[in-house]
Amino acid sequence: MSFTGWAELLAGGLITGGIYALVAIGLNLQYGLMRIMNISHGEFLMLGAFLTWWAHTAWGISPLVFLPAAFAALMLIGMAVHWLCFRQVAARAPSVEVFEARSLMVGFGLMFFVQNTALLIWGGDLRGYEYLAEPVQFADMRFTANKLVLFGIALALSLALIALLKLTLLGKAVRALMQSPIGAQLVGINTRRLHPLMFGIGLGLSGVAGALLSMTYEISPSMGEPYTVTALIVITLGGFGSIAGSLVGGLLLGVVEALGMHFTSPSLKMLLSYAVFIGVLIWRPNGLFSR
Amino acid sequence: MKATLANQPWRWLGLGLLLAAGLPWVASDFVSSVALSCLMYIALACSWSLFCGATRYLSLATSAFFGLGAYASATLLDVLPWPLVILSGAAVASMVAVAMGAAVLHLRGTYFAVLTFGMTELIRHAVTFVEKQVSGTVGRVLTVVPSNETVYLTVLAIAGAAIATAILVKRSRFGLALTGIGADEQRAQTLGVDTRRIKIAGFALTAAFAGAAGAAMAVRWTYIEPAAVFSPFIGFQTVLIALIGGAASIGGPVVAAIVFSLLAETLRLQLPYGYMMVLGLLLILCVMYLPNGLASLWQRRRHE
Amino acid sequence: MNDAVIPLLEASDLTVRFGGLTAVDAVSARLHAGELVGIIGPNGAGKTTFFNAISGVIAPTSGKLIVQGTVDLTGRGPHHYAAHGIARTFQTPRVMAEMTLADNVRFGMQFAGRHRTPLAGLQGEGDILEMLGLGALADRMAADVTPSQQRLLEIGMALGTRPRVLLLDEVAAGLTEAEVDAMARRIRRLRDDHGLTVVWIEHAVTTLLKYVERVLVLHQGRKIADGAPADVVRNAEVVEAYLGDEMEHAP
Repeated sequence: MSFTGWAELLAGGLITGGIYALVAIGLNLQYGLMRIMNISHGEFLMLGAFLTWWAHTAWGISPLVFLPAAFAALMLIGMAVHWLCFRQVAARAPSVEVFEARSLMVGFGLMFFVQNTALLIWGGDLRGYEYLAEPVQFADMRFTANKLVLFGIALALSLALIALLKLTLLGKAVRALMQSPIGAQLVGINTRRLHPLMFGIGLGLSGVAGALLSMTYEISPSMGEPYTVTALIVITLGGFGSIAGSLVGGLLLGVVEALGMHFTSPSLKMLLSYAVFIGVLIWRPNGLFSR
Repeated sequence: MKATLANQPWRWLGLGLLLAAGLPWVASDFVSSVALSCLMYIALACSWSLFCGATRYLSLATSAFFGLGAYASATLLDVLPWPLVILSGAAVASMVAVAMGAAVLHLRGTYFAVLTFGMTELIRHAVTFVEKQVSGTVGRVLTVVPSNETVYLTVLAIAGAAIATAILVKRSRFGLALTGIGADEQRAQTLGVDTRRIKIAGFALTAAFAGAAGAAMAVRWTYIEPAAVFSPFIGFQTVLIALIGGAASIGGPVVAAIVFSLLAETLRLQLPYGYMMVLGLLLILCVMYLPNGLASLWQRRRHE
Repeated sequence: MNDAVIPLLEASDLTVRFGGLTAVDAVSARLHAGELVGIIGPNGAGKTTFFNAISGVIAPTSGKLIVQGTVDLTGRGPHHYAAHGIARTFQTPRVMAEMTLADNVRFGMQFAGRHRTPLAGLQGEGDILEMLGLGALADRMAADVTPSQQRLLEIGMALGTRPRVLLLDEVAAGLTEAEVDAMARRIRRLRDDHGLTVVWIEHAVTTLLKYVERVLVLHQGRKIADGAPADVVRNAEVVEAYLGDEMEHAP
């Protein structure tokens, strides 16, 4: 395969990986910080996609312009969901293990609820729209402009979040909470406000990922689940709680998938992904990069 | 003492089975098919909770065992008599459960749940891949199938067996071991429970019923493909029903299965998505306010 | 010491390492039937880890554990240890909350204790609960009794497995001096009246030294003394390890 061919393949993988990273970071934030394995994460990605699609087709709003609105909307929904459901579960759970199991179940309930609400409102057909679909030439490689935008924004947001966690006071509080929930509370970090906020940000990121996807691909109410699963695989590879690991893991998975699909058949892609996932969970449950 | 469900389960079980057995001959096709799906979920939810309810290991692998049973059925239908087809479905599912359990049952909680989900999807994709390679198409048609009445009675038998097994296990030392594992696994070990073996056995038992149910339902659907028989929704709905009903009880999942099958059939015509939304909402509310399921409502009344 | 008598339990060079930390460092000890042995040592000495290793809860990194001179239990799971008559309690009571006290004690009898001969004077769960002073609470839920009652239940659960060796991990923690004394007398009776071999970890060193015949001292994972209380108390290394308050009042 020519150099251009390779480059296009890798770049394509990175682009997909960028979305994976964004979704995974959101999920990781929720699990690493709050031990909430939000199995409905992908459904909120789907909501973000549909809201953006609706804004564009009904009101003519450009998806790029709508991005912050998508983020805000999903963040508010996230905070509401946390406030209404997870807070109650946390209050009643006698131990962390029980809380994890129960929030997993709440996640299922949300998955059923959100996906079918979307089906009710918009029906099961695929939807899509054209946006920035003109091809762009990049040193002999051709991509559609929307894919480049997608990658750029996904990467920028991921890096921004990592910077937020490393450099700001809020970020330090979050990291402290992740490492030592009790210790952090003892020094005055307010979990009551931080948890819904970070849960909301996690969902917000997922919503933005959905908004970005709506520019490039067709959307449907059932599109969320594969992304949840992929996010799970990514955070397993990168390590539960490691945000940087999710970024690297997401990009890596995108590339591995692209290569795998090219050299074997596309139907093996999911098979390989799951095999890797299970392997890592069984043998290195703390992630590939843990000591 | 009043003849409540808990005091004389065998009597109630026998009565229920007898009544249900007569259904296909007195009711319409529609009612029969509702009853069938109801019985299927009773079998799935009851067998799920006999292991997962006691040990608190959240298994999402029901779809895998169901699908494996379905494929066993599709493959062996032409060569084996009907009862053996069902047994093979159960056997295949159990064997896979033993393998899966040996690999995975040392992990707890979220890891275990997510892993069983991953393995189910892995099996689904593996079967899809193999089917494509071997026969070029993904689905299979079952041609020579037993009558609807036979299938109904088979599923009824499986459901009855699942409930009976749950009752027996609960009263046995095996059931006590399972409960001990759920209460404090390490403590149970220091008191002499060989937890690894018990867990694998329990997991295999749960799989056997799911496999049998899959084998039976495959012939009712007559066309099977991985997306349908390995659908994660089968597993999710099983868990939902068992949890809402009360995973540690026997009557809970049975009642919940009946209620939800009825809801499904009535709502599906008018509000196909509404049913799922209600299910999801109910699960959330249950986890928040009734974590031990609906069964805790009437169990509490008994203690007072 | 009579070398012709085979030790009930023998730990040879038992070592437990967690990553870079050596919690138990080549500890060798012999336990003979009918002994009442105490284990003491400052915090972090590795006492509980040692218990975990000799009850199968943790597999030792190296070393051997032999029961009755013949059965090598090194690295095998806790249920094997229980089956061979080694029972233990946990520092924080781990009772089965949703079961009654009677059921909690009966649990061990159904599994490890199933094929073992009952202890002298402790046939059934009723006897065990009576002996521990919990007879009146037999039908109460384990979650509904006080923590100190739960600690006694812990012992009851271990006794349910009809063991030969009973490992008690800080069963007197948080009790008043009078209560510690009562517990010590109870432990002494377990050996004297019911034929158990008892190993007892305790922080209340003064009381322990009054009731045991032999004491092991652990410090930073190593065994630094092993003998009669009177001798151990005079051991310079032991005194040094302990920064002395409690040792000053020793008999």
